[in-house]
Amino acid sequence: MSTEAFNPNPVVFATAKSSRPVPAYVKSNSLWLDDEECSTEGFDESNEIEEIDQDEIFGAFFRPLRARQLIRSISDPEHRNMSLEQLAVVSAPQITFDARSPNRLTVEFTPTVPHCGMSTFIGLSIRVRLLRSLPNRYKVDIRVKSGSHQSEHALNKQLNDKERVAAALENPALVEVLEQCLSTAGHESDTASV
Amino acid sequence: MGDQLEARIEAIGTLQGHDDRVWHIAWNPTKPILASCSADKTVRLYTYRTNLISGDSEATANLPSLTFSHYTTIPTGHSKTVRAIAWSPSGKTLATASFDSNIGIWEQESGEDDEPGGGALTGSEWECMSLLEGHETECKSVAYSSSGNLLASCSRDKTVWVWEVHPDSDFECMGVLMEHTQDVKCVAWHPKEEILASASYDDTIKLYIDDPSDDWYCFLTLTDHTSTVWTLAFSPDGRYLASGSDDKTVRVWERVQEHKWECAAVIEGHEMSVYSLSWGRGKSMGQNDLGWLASTGGDGTILVWKMSTTPPIEGGGKTELLYSLMARFSFAHGVSDVNTVTWCPHEGYEDILATAGDDGVARIWKIFH
Repeated sequence: MSTEAFNPNPVVFATAKSSRPVPAYVKSNSLWLDDEECSTEGFDESNEIEEIDQDEIFGAFFRPLRARQLIRSISDPEHRNMSLEQLAVVSAPQITFDARSPNRLTVEFTPTVPHCGMSTFIGLSIRVRLLRSLPNRYKVDIRVKSGSHQSEHALNKQLNDKERVAAALENPALVEVLEQCLSTAGHESDTASV
Repeated sequence: MGDQLEARIEAIGTLQGHDDRVWHIAWNPTKPILASCSADKTVRLYTYRTNLISGDSEATANLPSLTFSHYTTIPTGHSKTVRAIAWSPSGKTLATASFDSNIGIWEQESGEDDEPGGGALTGSEWECMSLLEGHETECKSVAYSSSGNLLASCSRDKTVWVWEVHPDSDFECMGVLMEHTQDVKCVAWHPKEEILASASYDDTIKLYIDDPSDDWYCFLTLTDHTSTVWTLAFSPDGRYLASGSDDKTVRVWERVQEHKWECAAVIEGHEMSVYSLSWGRGKSMGQNDLGWLASTGGDGTILVWKMSTTPPIEGGGKTELLYSLMARFSFAHGVSDVNTVTWCPHEGYEDILATAGDDGVARIWKIFH
């Protein structure tokens, strides 16, 4: 990792409120905090097919897995005390489902600056977070927002090459930083979730 | 599934045991052994035998024709994923390509005699006879030439290495081909001649030959794919080369002159990246038949294409390549990607396929024609 900041003074955005009506069974819990205590009572823990929407992936809740934040609270690798949402790198409208195959989704993110050298890493952290959290029937496409990065094509290609991703995840130095950024995104150790 | 196709694909076996994604699977060309490799860093070897059912009746005709049993696991010692494996044509040597950037060469200690029919295979241990170092980053594919005299390997370091196989597991590097501008995903040898093909993340395919008075060199670059080329398969007669890509297509290249290959077909049918191709002889080959081409990939579907050409035109003229979808199986490994598909090379078993998936299992399939 380079020690020079790609974007030393990022703009910090207010985090969004969920526009989704909150179902009764999660009302007692804040959707925007780590809802580790959220009751799973009455939830179907089986693996049956259940629709997931953008709010759930973004961080609101995710019914079969209990309420938790999926990608919004991942730490920015350059500004570790800030989340990807605070820097407007990710947002709920940037998560889209393929209308024809609901198990395929695209997660778009917006690097804070077009020369951001951390973009691959951010994309990888989103991919790993979703790999670990979503049922494995989901096939995820990760892309930088069109026009937001000077190496857009190369970035998109790399983030969606499963062999490169697999090899990156066998690199201990990279995984260490990745785990730090993901440590703020829910609690990975919570095995009750899957 | 649900299609009115001329043949159907049925699962006849599931091989479990790997602890992680299975990347590749390879049939031993001379013995009844099947090898699979995985992100769990091991290679698993299976033996199989035929179930000969006497008193052939309708009821028994569709029973599985092969039964598999796990015979040994090679821990390999690779420090990272074993991405690909290749048997030498003699069936005695297994090569492993690992993300740890090395190629391992494995042989069973001699002494135990092997019976071709599948007798005592469980003899001595498989030992690492040689470790080929040289690649700087992940090795992604490895392949023996048809004579077994040459071995090719490729890596994310953008290079293709050609090794000469000497006695006693000694390998000499004959050339480092630095033609690609990105990762090299796959290497494949022509089935009869010493022509090497490589496929890359740079969207191209390159073909190489040895200049007897000089080095190995690239004589042709095929550029029609619009994204990563993941896989290559020559037709059994060597007149065609099939390539599968992240652009979701399979392209078939025809050898129109000694050193000239041209795109003869663009086959569509997959919804996601095509990760693997295998071109087998197929059953009931007619005069103009080219065999069966199997393809699979990120959509988890196995497709089998019947390949042929138009009959030769009297007085010369070009024959045309024909293809038709013969069989399809969706969700071959549940919701997981299928990383490899490969036809059984043994005579009489041209309708048997093996696949390797992200679900950590290998599966065996039979085409009912």
